[in-house]
Amino acid sequence: MKKKVLACVLTAAMATSMFSVGVQAADKGSDRTFKILSMWAEDDADSGQILKDVTEKYIQEVNPDFKYEFELVSVDNLKQKIATLAASNDLPDVFAYDAGTPLIELIDAGLVLDVGAKLDELGISDKVDPSAVDFLTGLTGTDTLYDLPLGQNIEGFWYNKEAFEKAGIENPPATWDEMLEDADKLLEAGIQPFAVGGADSWPATRLINAYVIRKLGTDAMDKAYKGEIKYTDEGIVEGAAMLQEMVEKGYFGEGATTVDQNTAANMILSGEAAIIYNGSWYVSQLQADTNPAGEDGIGFFNIPAVEGGVGTDTEYSMNCGTILAFSNEKYDDVTEGWLKYFVENVADYAINNQGTLRGYVIDQYPDNLSTYSKMVAEEIEKSTGSATWFEAAMDSELSQISQENVQSLMNGDMTPEEYCESMQDIWDAAH
Amino acid sequence: MKLTAAKQPVGSWFKRILIALVVLIDVYPLFWMITASFKQPAEFVEKPAYALNSGFYLQNYIDAWTRGKMAIFFRNSLINTVISLVFIIFFTVTISFALTKMQWIGKEFFKKYFAFGIMIPVATSLIPLFQIFQKMNLINTRSSLILVYVASAISFSIYLITGSMLSLPDEIMEAAVIDGCGIYNLMAKVVVPLTKNSIITVLVIQFFFKWNDLLYSMTFVSSTELKTIQTGLLYFQDEFGSKNWGAIFASVSICVIPMLLMYLVLNKKVIEGMTAGAVKG
Amino acid sequence: MKTVLSNKKAIFLFVFPGFVLYTVFVVLPVIWSGYYTFFDGIPGIKWEFCGLDNFVRLFHDKNFMKALIVNLKYIGIVTVGQVGIGLLLALMFKYWLKHFATLVRTIVFFPVVLPTVAVGQLFVKIYEIQPHYGLLNSVLKAVGLQELVQPWIGQASTALGSLSAMDIWTAVGFYAIIFYGALLDIPEDVVEAARIDGCKPFQLFRMVLTPLLRPMIITCAIFSFTGTVKMFESALALTGGGPGGATKSLSIYMYDTAFTYSKTGYGSVIALFIFLVCVVGSRIIRSFEKPID
Repeated sequence: MKKKVLACVLTAAMATSMFSVGVQAADKGSDRTFKILSMWAEDDADSGQILKDVTEKYIQEVNPDFKYEFELVSVDNLKQKIATLAASNDLPDVFAYDAGTPLIELIDAGLVLDVGAKLDELGISDKVDPSAVDFLTGLTGTDTLYDLPLGQNIEGFWYNKEAFEKAGIENPPATWDEMLEDADKLLEAGIQPFAVGGADSWPATRLINAYVIRKLGTDAMDKAYKGEIKYTDEGIVEGAAMLQEMVEKGYFGEGATTVDQNTAANMILSGEAAIIYNGSWYVSQLQADTNPAGEDGIGFFNIPAVEGGVGTDTEYSMNCGTILAFSNEKYDDVTEGWLKYFVENVADYAINNQGTLRGYVIDQYPDNLSTYSKMVAEEIEKSTGSATWFEAAMDSELSQISQENVQSLMNGDMTPEEYCESMQDIWDAAH
Repeated sequence: MKLTAAKQPVGSWFKRILIALVVLIDVYPLFWMITASFKQPAEFVEKPAYALNSGFYLQNYIDAWTRGKMAIFFRNSLINTVISLVFIIFFTVTISFALTKMQWIGKEFFKKYFAFGIMIPVATSLIPLFQIFQKMNLINTRSSLILVYVASAISFSIYLITGSMLSLPDEIMEAAVIDGCGIYNLMAKVVVPLTKNSIITVLVIQFFFKWNDLLYSMTFVSSTELKTIQTGLLYFQDEFGSKNWGAIFASVSICVIPMLLMYLVLNKKVIEGMTAGAVKG
Repeated sequence: MKTVLSNKKAIFLFVFPGFVLYTVFVVLPVIWSGYYTFFDGIPGIKWEFCGLDNFVRLFHDKNFMKALIVNLKYIGIVTVGQVGIGLLLALMFKYWLKHFATLVRTIVFFPVVLPTVAVGQLFVKIYEIQPHYGLLNSVLKAVGLQELVQPWIGQASTALGSLSAMDIWTAVGFYAIIFYGALLDIPEDVVEAARIDGCKPFQLFRMVLTPLLRPMIITCAIFSFTGTVKMFESALALTGGGPGGATKSLSIYMYDTAFTYSKTGYGSVIALFIFLVCVVGSRIIRSFEKPID
């Protein structure tokens, strides 16, 4: 008797856990759920909020039947998640992804929607900022857009004005050498000249990139990946050497490879360090009430000129942040409705609610922009040319190696030459 | 033990200090985590990490609970963990018994077969598992998590339980059988009570494992309604690595509380379970 | 008795459900990924049969060798640390501890309970050097060892050691309790007899306790070994594999290869290798076991 009961319980339990599922799976189809996948929480003060609020507004104003699901994954696992979904042919309707090579792999496999063509069909291509379009199509190497921007960031050096005053520095430096002189002055005044999130690696390679694009021009890293110049090119080695030298001189304080970019960025706000290389996403931190430097305490200067270099000070390092891509297979009326509304409304929403630029054309700037937002908008207007970031053109393996080894470079475990050779080796192996 | 202290006062002090040091090394982190969960964002940058919290900044907990959706995640983790534990115990106690005390052909093979799972690195199976779940129509369901939680726990749990099963005296079972116990009664009335401690050990250890899972939950489940508690931590970092430490530690504290409670209530049993030969391989 | 214990139906009922679950969700995926080893790319994106290329590649891969060396060092330090210190703590529990014994044992076990992410973050703060000295550097400075202040997890020379210390700390309570249990099982009269024969504590440990504990030491060593071979989460939480790959383990390398580099097949080869290390290593440790009977 007991045996039977046991067997029954067991079977029932297993069956329930199996079939509770079938029911859920059945309600797909007719009015489907639109899936959004990103590594932004839907209520952050950044891209997640934009995605969610614009979608909510779409439901309110246009399509009350629209059902959506917002999924959050960690930054570190985004690629794994997308790879797993792609392997099972189950990409979400719209998902955040890394621009550049990772996206190209998906495009080559025919998994990603040609958004540009759809925007043309819908007659809203002019809503996306032309410079963002150039930038993104440049990254994917395609004629048309395969992804949408969600950010329009310029990068450069941000400095604590009070710290500069204390060290007796009047104007932000115009040349790289001046910047180093200023760093010495700051050191003398007992202020750590730079902060860098060496633990995150990318802030460190950005510094090499900054030097390289001024020395060799904005397309230097693209050329290297295309094989037109080598990663061991003198200019790139010089950039790596510059980073190493700055670390050795103590500009970044002790143990720069242990600091995360968030801490580094906060050190500038609190005046514990004076200068940081960062992107304009920094603005959200700058205009928060918690910024101890206040509404006007942080200034910006573009990457200074390098002696004998070809780069000019109106060329900016730019990026569109993490981009949005669409599943090719799942594209239908539901997606189209959302896409149209999103592209038409995202710019206004972002500038009015967050004071941020997202890579879409803004009809009218609001009057109450924060000092920092204005500062960024002004800088963007000056721009005559743009460069991508250090790893933008690289494939994932090369990018990973360059980031991994940059820490060894900073610690002096690798010479600048060895660092550049390590990249060239990976490149050679792949081509 | 008699041989120690009294005769050697110096040694005794040395021992006490050493013990105190060990305790301190183990308690400090918990203490630090709790103070950190009450810190304001600026405190993490402006003050050294070991500084006490300058006030009780409860906003961290409010953020953790509301923004981090702890209410939903907490419930999900609890449901998944509890159901998984029931199955884990059920399956592994019966298998362990069959593998140790029962007589059948193929026993030795199955012992090895089940031991094999301990050696598999988790990340290898993610893509195949996803495809298996997809074929079974189980993606984005609670069942997928429960199934993988149970399956992945089998090897290690059997390993823990067979130890105490081996030391189970045959005479007691014999006596029960002579009294007319069938196999199922024998299990329920003799075997389970006598291996209670190691079962509790498995319960507690697997509870920690399942409760701390993030990778599976992130891979197999997509809707927020079904996500588990470790997902909550993701709400406090952004794409450029910016993190809200206070809220993260508040979330972690909230995660840890049930484990602590469970552990404090059961710790005597756990330690007895492990000491009573749970791991005698 | 015999009939009861060889009840075929019961055996089937006991073993079958778990067997199915285990086979489908643990063994099958492994076999499946074995099939992946013959392919290049990532399934669904770029997926081409490449024969044995992935296996050949393994022998030329410098980064793989680097990860292997890191991993082996880590296995050595952590296995010895976890088992050794665990044993010492257990001896302390048994022979030194008189007051608050349960409380102390409970507290030592506590770190086992914490989520890896939390432990990682905690140790990042302990090893911190910028913008403020963390706990370790502050203590060093306070006791006048200024020259020892250093970026513990920021330089290749100390990062792996710092990570190992963290992992020993986390798991040592687990081993301490297991050894404590084994010590309790050692009959008092054996120890007493040895003592009457004039055994010093150290001799006692070496000549009497060690042989009796031997099976347990081997079990724990295997357990610690199989855990450390798969080193993954803790390294990600503390150092992210850095600086410059100094704490990048085989599993991290495998994860990167399979997902970041989009080479799932090659990642599966590495996984297979990790599995082999596990099996071979366990065999070697087991060979120290004296033949029973």
